[in-house]
Amino acid sequence: MSEKMNDAKKFSLVKREAAYTGIALAGLIVFWFVAGFGTASFDVKIFRLPLWAVLGSIGVWFCGIGISFVLSRKLFSDMDLEGEKDE
Amino acid sequence: MNEGGNFSVLLPLIFFMAAMIGISVYVRQRQAGFIGNRNLGGFVLAMTTVATYSSVSSFVGGPGMAFQIGFGWIYMAVVQVTAIFLVLGIFGKRVALLARKLNAVTVVDIIRARFQSDFLAAFAAFVIVLFFCGTMTAQFVGGAKLFSAVTGYGYEVGLILFGLIVVVCTSVGGFRAVAFTDTICAIMMMIGIILLLHFVLQAGGGYSQIMTTLETNHPEMFEPFSAGHMPWTIYFTQWLLVGICTIALPQSVVRGISYKNTKGLHEAMLIGTVVVGFMNIGINFTGILAHGVLTGDAASYGGVDNIIPTTIATVMPPSLVVFAIIGPLAASISTISGLLIVASSAIVKDIYLHYKEKKSENVSPEKLKILSMMTTAVIGVTVFVIALTPPSLIWLINMFAFGGLETAFFWTLLLGLFWKGANKFGAILSMTGGTIIYCAAQAAGFKFFNLHQITIGITVSLILFLIGSYFGKKSDAKTLKTFFPE
Repeated sequence: MSEKMNDAKKFSLVKREAAYTGIALAGLIVFWFVAGFGTASFDVKIFRLPLWAVLGSIGVWFCGIGISFVLSRKLFSDMDLEGEKDE
Repeated sequence: MNEGGNFSVLLPLIFFMAAMIGISVYVRQRQAGFIGNRNLGGFVLAMTTVATYSSVSSFVGGPGMAFQIGFGWIYMAVVQVTAIFLVLGIFGKRVALLARKLNAVTVVDIIRARFQSDFLAAFAAFVIVLFFCGTMTAQFVGGAKLFSAVTGYGYEVGLILFGLIVVVCTSVGGFRAVAFTDTICAIMMMIGIILLLHFVLQAGGGYSQIMTTLETNHPEMFEPFSAGHMPWTIYFTQWLLVGICTIALPQSVVRGISYKNTKGLHEAMLIGTVVVGFMNIGINFTGILAHGVLTGDAASYGGVDNIIPTTIATVMPPSLVVFAIIGPLAASISTISGLLIVASSAIVKDIYLHYKEKKSENVSPEKLKILSMMTTAVIGVTVFVIALTPPSLIWLINMFAFGGLETAFFWTLLLGLFWKGANKFGAILSMTGGTIIYCAAQAAGFKFFNLHQITIGITVSLILFLIGSYFGKKSDAKTLKTFFPE
């Protein structure tokens, strides 16, 4: 945690966090595609639902939760939101 | 108008709505400022963002489509789990930092400061009011239809009751009250889903029996393309419409201005993703399982929008109907109130107050309060009047408005806040040109590869942004220093 960051540092960090979020989105899209369409031909059922339907719904949801957890708890930093005043 | 409705359902609803007004009045007495003093915690931030985002179409139109399509609809709808972590992760902190630096309280304030353009700010405010009216109409219609189907009272009674509560809550309570009532609404939505799912399973003879019915009568529902009812084009455009591009919805981005600290933001990302996924999967799954109760096709019940209301009326014990109906109604109330407050601020804060400030004229806080309340009431009543003649297919109206807002704001916000090369000319070209082309494509019914017109709008607005930024004058050094101190 850094409470003494200047604006330059904060904005730089925020930019990096936005990039992490974008990468996470790309990862989730790939997971969504593979979990659903990628497993649609498998003749496997879970609770009488086809595998693609389970992975493509609950699986994607859990993946989203996992991504949010990693982003918010591991990759994002706490900072003071009050910035320096511009001249 | 049906006078013979079920009063035992109406009474608890009135009680719930009265409680919402009570909360709004209480919060009003304690708040100052449009964004509620920037002190929302993580839980409230998550719930207000989810509740504003999850509209009645998520609870009525969406599950009705799931009833018709099957599991492919859930697979498509689940892309919405990205909505909360994306908007808060990409814009949350940047918007919060900028809002504090610029003393901004709306998204339009930030756009005006970034591109130094009153014209762009006024156009942005116009787009917000225009498309929000579309979304709000869909909410009013959905809420009132649901009310009518479940309580037995007329559509107009529902509209009046429901319009009244939303307009009063929002105009009296302001942003912070909306955040709190949104939170209550989101909790009610989840309770409603659980109860409805339970009673659908019970009335349909249990999970196993319903699945047997589905396997026998609707095997196509177990395929991702649902025998051609879910083409890849729908999946692709839904990723844009309710997934990626939702980061630029002004009603979501403005939440980034309102929270207290980054700890709250981080909590909200996680809580919001849990809640939005639960709601989406829960209600759409319930829509599919409704086949265990409703044996005809959607058309035989008056269309997909009537599936959930009919299911509620069929399976829920009269004493508990109110809990199932409060969920979707709460979705509707929270979305309208969230949009209404932003639309009102677009007129009062972004246009009127800015105009007065430019003329160096002071507006007293009392006058501003009254003006905000009056504007909120006028917009609310206007939408209410439009909703008196209900358009059909709520989710399509909702998607039209989503697409328009995303076309207008996606590149302006994303490139504006993350690219130094973005400039005023590019933003103006992108927002005006993209919005006009999107609306024209919608009006003409023109589609590219049969994809939703969002693909046209978002592509055109990007091209125009890049062309404008290439030929236009660069942003001044002072603006760049404020927005890109890194």
